Amino acid sequence: MGKIILDKMAMQRALTRITYEIVEKNKGVEDLVLIGIKTRGIFLANRIADRLQQLENVTIPVGELDITNYRDDIEHDSTSSDVKMSNNKIDFSVEGKRVILVDDVLYTGRTVRAALSAVMDLGRPKSINLAVLVDRGHRELPIRADFVGKNIPSSQKEKIKVYVSEIDDKDAVELIK
Amino acid sequence: MTQRYLILEDGSAYAGKAFGSLATTTGELVANSTMNGYQEIISNQIYHNQIIVFTQTSIGNTGLAQNAYESVLPTAKGVIVREYENLATDHFKRISLDRYLKRHKIPGIYDVDTRQIRRHLQQKGNMKASIVDVADEHAFDQLHATVLTNQQVAQVATPKPYPNPDEGANVIVVDFGLKSGILRELSKRDCNITVVPWNSTSETILDLDPDGVVLSTGPGAPGNLPESVLQMIREVQTQVPLFGIGLGHELFAMANGAKISQLRVEHHGSNHPIREIITNEIFFSGQEQGYAVDSKSIDHAKLFITHIDLVNGTVQGLRHRDYPAFSVQFSPDGAPGPKDSVGLFDDFTEFMARRRDNNGDEY
Amino acid sequence: MATNIKKLLLLGGGPTNIGHENELDAAAYERLSAIKRTGAQVIYVDNNPFSFASEEVQPADVYVQEVNFQNVVNIIEKEKPDAIMPKIGGLNAMQVAWQLEESDVLANNNIQLLGIRPIDLKKVLDNQQLRELLDETGEPIIASKIVASDDEAMDFVRDVGFPVIVKPLSASHDTSRFICNNTDEMEDALEISFKRTYIKWVSIEQSIVGYKEIEMVAIRDENGNKLLISGLEDMDPIGIHSGDSIIFAPTQTLINQEYQSLRTATFRIMDAINITGTCHIQFAQSRTDSNYFVTKVSPFFTRNALLAAKSTGYPLSYVSTLLEMGYALPEIKLPEKYSKYLPFMEPTMDHVVVRIPLWPFRDIPDVDQHLNTLMKSVGSTIGIGRTVEEAIMKAMHSSQFSPRDILPSVSKISDDDVINQLIHPLASRILILMEAIRRGFSIDELSELTKIDRFYFYKMNQLLRAQDFVINNPLSPTAVEVGHKYGFGDGMLAELWNVNISTIERMNRNSKTKVTFKEVEPSAGEFLETTNVFYSSYELENESQPCVGKTALIIGRGGNQLGPNAAADYYTAQVLDTAHKAGYKTIIMNTNPNAISLAPALSDKQYIEPIQLGNILNIVNLEKPDIIFLPGNRHYLSKKLKEFADLNIVVLPPDQKVAKYNQRKATDAVDLFIDHDRILPITTISFYTNSHRTELRYINNYQQPMNHWQTDEQKLIDLAINKIDTSQWQGLVQVLFNRIDDQSGYQFSGIRPIRITESAFLNKTTGINWIDALVKKYLGILDIDHLSEYYQPGTHKRYAMMEAVFPFKELQSNRKDGTSTQEVGSSLSFKNIES
Repeated sequence: MGKIILDKMAMQRALTRITYEIVEKNKGVEDLVLIGIKTRGIFLANRIADRLQQLENVTIPVGELDITNYRDDIEHDSTSSDVKMSNNKIDFSVEGKRVILVDDVLYTGRTVRAALSAVMDLGRPKSINLAVLVDRGHRELPIRADFVGKNIPSSQKEKIKVYVSEIDDKDAVELIK
Repeated sequence: MTQRYLILEDGSAYAGKAFGSLATTTGELVANSTMNGYQEIISNQIYHNQIIVFTQTSIGNTGLAQNAYESVLPTAKGVIVREYENLATDHFKRISLDRYLKRHKIPGIYDVDTRQIRRHLQQKGNMKASIVDVADEHAFDQLHATVLTNQQVAQVATPKPYPNPDEGANVIVVDFGLKSGILRELSKRDCNITVVPWNSTSETILDLDPDGVVLSTGPGAPGNLPESVLQMIREVQTQVPLFGIGLGHELFAMANGAKISQLRVEHHGSNHPIREIITNEIFFSGQEQGYAVDSKSIDHAKLFITHIDLVNGTVQGLRHRDYPAFSVQFSPDGAPGPKDSVGLFDDFTEFMARRRDNNGDEY
Repeated sequence: MATNIKKLLLLGGGPTNIGHENELDAAAYERLSAIKRTGAQVIYVDNNPFSFASEEVQPADVYVQEVNFQNVVNIIEKEKPDAIMPKIGGLNAMQVAWQLEESDVLANNNIQLLGIRPIDLKKVLDNQQLRELLDETGEPIIASKIVASDDEAMDFVRDVGFPVIVKPLSASHDTSRFICNNTDEMEDALEISFKRTYIKWVSIEQSIVGYKEIEMVAIRDENGNKLLISGLEDMDPIGIHSGDSIIFAPTQTLINQEYQSLRTATFRIMDAINITGTCHIQFAQSRTDSNYFVTKVSPFFTRNALLAAKSTGYPLSYVSTLLEMGYALPEIKLPEKYSKYLPFMEPTMDHVVVRIPLWPFRDIPDVDQHLNTLMKSVGSTIGIGRTVEEAIMKAMHSSQFSPRDILPSVSKISDDDVINQLIHPLASRILILMEAIRRGFSIDELSELTKIDRFYFYKMNQLLRAQDFVINNPLSPTAVEVGHKYGFGDGMLAELWNVNISTIERMNRNSKTKVTFKEVEPSAGEFLETTNVFYSSYELENESQPCVGKTALIIGRGGNQLGPNAAADYYTAQVLDTAHKAGYKTIIMNTNPNAISLAPALSDKQYIEPIQLGNILNIVNLEKPDIIFLPGNRHYLSKKLKEFADLNIVVLPPDQKVAKYNQRKATDAVDLFIDHDRILPITTISFYTNSHRTELRYINNYQQPMNHWQTDEQKLIDLAINKIDTSQWQGLVQVLFNRIDDQSGYQFSGIRPIRITESAFLNKTTGINWIDALVKKYLGILDIDHLSEYYQPGTHKRYAMMEAVFPFKELQSNRKDGTSTQEVGSSLSFKNIES
């Protein structure tokens, strides 16, 4: 059974906080682009872009990074060391831009590492920052989130599930034992 | 039933019956339209030197409970109601309104047309008023002659720092006449609070090694406070997350270059929708407001406007562009009032946590 | 955003009954004016003959059919609407909507469901899913379990604690329930239950009997913006259906913390079910601590939603409609007379509203009058004042249908009976409670016995003392002042002191407290709203300015009653409409919060005041209307009013007392419209009945045209016209005949004014608004020539049938046949005539 750690309101507030922090750190929205990872990161990135629109009245481009396993005999989970990018949708250049990668949960760091490679393959951004809704600890790589919605320490036996209303019918972050 | 009068600066007088103390008082007349929470309102130090007219007709129905006061010593100058109940109903072991007012020497008048008074006030704008035994020329003379103090904050705020210990983040609350609701919400989030006097310097505050600083609510005009307070804010905001509420918000704005104007009629209630600009959503919150940040005076290179009152257009929230410093005009703790925006306290604790995690890293 | 909706299917509420009277129609009316502004076409389904709203829709777009799955499917196939709006059809319409969704009809026809998403509709209508949803939201619900043995029951109790309610679950309508406070009682209850041979399962749940019942009405738009319209407090605790409770707005005994918790809970639930428009949620609030439970979620327009709207002055139905169609709250634009901030400000009240239910027991005396969780009231009435006492008193006045403005006495009831009624409440509760106080019961005792908050007893005690003071000080100016302050109308003072009301009027002129009218508006004086709804109080400032120009005052019927039921208010609404179209500024006086006649768009000004002599005179003195309409026979009232100077009073229709009968049997009738010496035939009617009774008062079903119309219609019409002496009969008149068999022909039975219910029927079936014609006649502007040219009863293509609805099943009575005074509604249907 899942316990709701962040309800809809809390999720919204977290994204709002992240948005302010992005503007604060970047001293504005110049050259800012957002790239959402996997499915849910994309929706979160869009929500952050909406907020930036409301706040600064500018349209920030949002790209999509769809990371799937290259080899189909390996289980689809982020602990696999062989990941390959496909189905990306980034129709802007990252050259000289401040890229903000957006993901729902930061865990081992492997997905992010792959995302970093993917972005750098596309060009030479000015900087890459990471924004995540939830940081659950247990990093296996030296990856750190610059913007965190909420820290949720968890054991490796537990699962953290993020629901977004765009596809899941509700907004929530659940901890499943 | 003793008859008493509420007399207004513009010469009007209203006769009613006395309850509470029989003191004669003078203060600014304000109308509050909140429908619940008269206890929280009367004990809120924002109402220092003010006479409160309640538009809600029955006040006192539920008595007063020990855990719902917004301050220890209320300093309102009067309570005007249509119908008052001298009740202390069973649960929560309450005392009655009459006893409370008598104890704190606050006079009350009931059996008056409070709706008429409110509409009159709305038309005429802010006014001084007195509660007197006789509404004669002498009383009016006294009223006109009375100059209300501009030292409200000094009169109600704590003169010495005091702790409110807990295990979590270190929070310094700068007391301008704070309402307990602020402390309650911080306590709920385990904050280890130290309340310091309004005129503390930034050195004093920063020496206490805060994770965050809260600028509290309080009575009166922000312009009554010296420049040193603004200086303190400017220095503190660069070092730690800052959260200003009510008067604290106004001071935050001034410290960052904005101007304050006085509202023609003070607004006390929770019926105005407030728009959060970044999400474009509206919500409600308790507002006790006599002054507002002038939106035209805001330096947009320094501050975001984060919230707006949709009815009167006033700035209801600000945030600094460069620091995790933000403020709101309304009372997110909701005592009384909706708790729609209580999440702002969570924001504050998250900003503090973020800072601790990053160990004060430079970005 | 839903501006792309071109054709909207609106499901109506159907015939009125216990549980819903006019409120759905009133809501529908407001809704239609909102939809009109968006330009969408409306298809309306309703078989309620007393629906005023359906007449606002193009006749071709109205389907007079029962709102059920099959009918709606057929209509969808024919009309192909873009969207469907079930929320003002009550629970029935919501269920039909669900069936449409389940069977993919909506998907297959590309129809948008407005107000709630299908997936959420399912959750709300299925009890188990709703419980799970609430659980997930973190909102507390009553623990309950179905058990088959004593052991299981004990397990439950170990977890949840006492008290619990044990309910045997049976296929038959066994509604017995046992409240158990300890193990002994529970074991007894289980033994009794399981002993019955057909009982295998028993439901056991946490008992919240005695908890305070608090209701919240709120709205939400599709962006998640939410606003609370009002909280309502039921004076009667959980255990009495909220429809039968005495309700106060705003809440009176909640502290800020409790109120905000419930408000927040309401918002969270609305978010969880993603609704747009109105939502009404009921809670059980502990009297001893801050715990609460969610007891009912109604994400559609309900009676109490309308009560919240009327209490605050907020145009709820109008705004709700736009929200359901996809408009965001800040985008809502209201008709000009309202302040532009109004839609998105949370209403604040500076007055008190008390709602008292009205009972059917006088007309159906042989039913169990004890109040419990099954609703028994047929209507309600409200009183508005500036103090709680004043509002209570005015509500009580409004609930008296006796012409004399006095409250019935309960002083003859024995002490035992009083106690009995305290524990097992009957109707007229407030009188019993006051009597108990008078007899010396302590407030603590009373509160404990009845579980009603002590606050209310303090208030009733105040009322009692005021009443005693007034009785003991006849004709003293102070007593008049006290009386006024506490809501005793002038009429009541006159009755108490046994003087003519003009004596009181004279005293008023010298009194320093004059009657003042305050506006019901949602900003508590912050904005100069012009809702144009007023109530009286004795304060300093009067806010009501007399209307300028020709004015018509229409005196409503007050709360809904059996007999004329919803038709009475339909009638009133028609009168209002006609007067308005005739160029009069219309002023309505009424106290029924569910009334269509109080729909804001239907009049220029509203007074929510007890329909009693004193109150009427206060309004008449201020407004000085050119004409006063008294729809529905109010014999006593019109007589009394006529004593006062030259008031131009029109009573419509005339009293049934003037009817003349040869015999009390009839099978057919001819309806006529008589203006001066012109007699215009309207149509012919056959009566039919579902019972064996033949007396006229048991005949409550109509068919138009009559049987054998092909051969007998003209004959009968001629016969009827012959019977009329136009010096005696005017307006809408019915001539009754009794047909025995083919040989004997038609016996003349009598003449009577056309009943209110039948007038509505005629409107619906003939396509002519006869009530409108009647009003025009009395206004002196009827063009009878034009009417007679335009309307000729001729060939008939279909039969129209109106069948009365009785509340016997709802009241758990075994009665089968009802008299016309027991009707609670009617249903309308059409049948094609085989050619």
